[in-house]
Amino acid sequence: MREYEAVIARVEELARGLGLRWDPVVFRMSEAEEIAEVASMGLPNRFVHWYWGGAYKEIRLQQDKSLLSILELVLNSRPAYAFLRRSNTYLQNVLVIAHVYGHADFFANNHWFRKSNKNMLNEAERHARTFREYEARYGRETVEQLLDACLTVASTVNAFERDPGRRRRRLVYFLEDHAPLEPYEREMLQAIREEGEYFDLIQRTHISNEGWATFVEATLLRELLSAREWAEVCVHLCARPTPYTLGYALFGAIRRRSGFAGALEARRYYEDVRLIDETLTQELVDRLDLFVYDPRDRSRNTQVEAVKEMLIEQKLYRGEPRVEVEDPDHPRDLVLVHVEEGRKLDPRRIALYLKAVHRLWRHPVRLRANGKLYTYDRRGLSTA
Amino acid sequence: MRIHRGRIAQHKHDELLRAYLKQNLHELIQQKELVVNGKVKTQLSTLDLPTLRYGDEEAYLAQGAGGAGRGGGGGDEGVQPVGGVLGGDHHGPEVRVELDFDEFVRLAQEVLLDELELPALQRLPRGGEVDTEEFPELDDLDRMGLAADLNLEETLVTSLLRNVRERGVLDFDVDLRQDGWYFVEDPSASRNHRSLEVYVLDISGSMRGDYLALVRKTIFLLWYALERRYPTNLRRYVVFQDVAEEKTREEFFCVESSGGTHISAGFEKAVEMLEGVSEYDTYLFLFTDGETSSGDFELAKRKYEETLDRFDLVCYGHVNPGSRGVGGFSEYVQEVARKRPNATFANLVDLDSVREALRQFLARVDGGSKARCGSTRRSSRGWRS
Repeated sequence: MREYEAVIARVEELARGLGLRWDPVVFRMSEAEEIAEVASMGLPNRFVHWYWGGAYKEIRLQQDKSLLSILELVLNSRPAYAFLRRSNTYLQNVLVIAHVYGHADFFANNHWFRKSNKNMLNEAERHARTFREYEARYGRETVEQLLDACLTVASTVNAFERDPGRRRRRLVYFLEDHAPLEPYEREMLQAIREEGEYFDLIQRTHISNEGWATFVEATLLRELLSAREWAEVCVHLCARPTPYTLGYALFGAIRRRSGFAGALEARRYYEDVRLIDETLTQELVDRLDLFVYDPRDRSRNTQVEAVKEMLIEQKLYRGEPRVEVEDPDHPRDLVLVHVEEGRKLDPRRIALYLKAVHRLWRHPVRLRANGKLYTYDRRGLSTA
Repeated sequence: MRIHRGRIAQHKHDELLRAYLKQNLHELIQQKELVVNGKVKTQLSTLDLPTLRYGDEEAYLAQGAGGAGRGGGGGDEGVQPVGGVLGGDHHGPEVRVELDFDEFVRLAQEVLLDELELPALQRLPRGGEVDTEEFPELDDLDRMGLAADLNLEETLVTSLLRNVRERGVLDFDVDLRQDGWYFVEDPSASRNHRSLEVYVLDISGSMRGDYLALVRKTIFLLWYALERRYPTNLRRYVVFQDVAEEKTREEFFCVESSGGTHISAGFEKAVEMLEGVSEYDTYLFLFTDGETSSGDFELAKRKYEETLDRFDLVCYGHVNPGSRGVGGFSEYVQEVARKRPNATFANLVDLDSVREALRQFLARVDGGSKARCGSTRRSSRGWRS
């Protein structure tokens, strides 16, 4: 890391000059394999699960073929840990360093991130240890099956939701409060829910977070690099995935409208939905060549309203069907309702999904969807 | 020491994958289009977490690809779905539920070995070559071709000593004129480490379902056995109906069955594959239901004889999942195979008969190698009857 010390000091100085503030950042030089591991698991010391294994394999394959290179990773922790890849070129790592300070500033100042759990790195380690203990005590298979079920329902978390009435409509919170679980099972569900909320926050701020980091990166590098290096960097910046370029364009628009101070203000209060809703314009949609594509009639809708709606819906519901818990008449009742009646759920997944819910709820589970009432109980799935 | 959690997670993932494959191999392997873009499609809903998803095709957010223009023009061209909007831990829909073909083959081989109770075989080091990291790779100097009797190990040691002596450097700088150290024995007695395998498949109308499954399982097991014998192999693929065509590996596993059966065309094309290939052990594997079109019988006989003269071993698989009697051209081949040392005939009825066919084949390979080559060091108990 020694060769980067001078450039880190310079980046910090420039960043402070721009008005950025951050918690300490610890850089760590790491191999591609370690980066693939953290990227697939989300956190370095998280419990081991087959589900990350698929993603890990995919990332490793792509790394081998140099198709996708995750250049950096940074964790929302205090201090923030940032992973630089040893095989990166010096210039690539300088890019990463500048980008990381954008994230660190976002973590420390964004309204939603300030409230987040900065200790999740250690908590995840604690969860992993506890799960291993439970594996020894209750059997590996039992614990793994339970983890599968918990992870399946964990997609219903919402890190932003504070209203208890609305929270209990979300399955994972409902199960945590009401399912007839053993203490160790409840503890595991709670742990998975906590980790789920940590990642949910990252998902709900992905465009603003990456956009801000890219925006900061570009602003710092323009100061830091020679014209020739800057030209090289521009190619890198343009080749980033859409969330990066979209977020970058949105913060650029804010700066044009209300100066750098305005952008700083936006990074403090915005999450993705608000950023998109207030900043995305027809001009940006055209420039980024974004549209809503309907494969059924191969039509493209390039209207800003349509693009906005699609993006916001993905952000609000993670692209997943909206299934809510209905108020129960009886303590043993669990009725789930798919609220968008017009849209069909994939019937092949319903049995497996309800089986996972049943694993936690123990009593019959009902789902109203696709114009039917699905019931899963000890005998399996039945439809009425 | 770092715990490689990623690798452990992958191991767990692969264990589940294996279990899934084991359950579904027979159905998966029958897919007409087995490989698409190097991937085998599976219905791997169990390898994803079973969260709910929409069933219908839905509109999605997209971006124009590579300035391909936009606006009113229809078609999927220039439409790039915008992924990763959610980032972070959300890899649900992005996790591929497809398997790399090579990985599929590897897993299928494991499953088949298990099912047939065949022991795993060791990979052979390349004979005559020095297999250690401390020595430089000298792939061009193996025991083939012009310097087939070159003893690499001795040559390298001689070269090393010479370089120390003459130049004072610990370096391999092989000069064959000075360092060449040769085996005394006849190079033709050394093991051949190269094979040419020609796979010929009948894709006339009856080729589907169990038929395809049997052929593919046999081929996967043949690959397994042959890869462990021949570190260098060339594989050529031919399909035939009325006419024969050479195909790529991927195309070979995506056949559309149609037309009549001209087995003679298959043999003829197979012989063409020998063009320019010398110093290889040559194998022909032909799979058919033996029902050659009327009028082709005599020609097919002649072409079969020709392949027997040209290939080291000709394996004829009579694919017969219905377990009917052997008739037609297959009957003729069965007769010939009893007399000719380099012909085998297999009546592929079920997996047990595949095992039998493999044993027969390997016995011939070993026998053939002994005739042509030196000793065999490979342990293939269980693969032999």
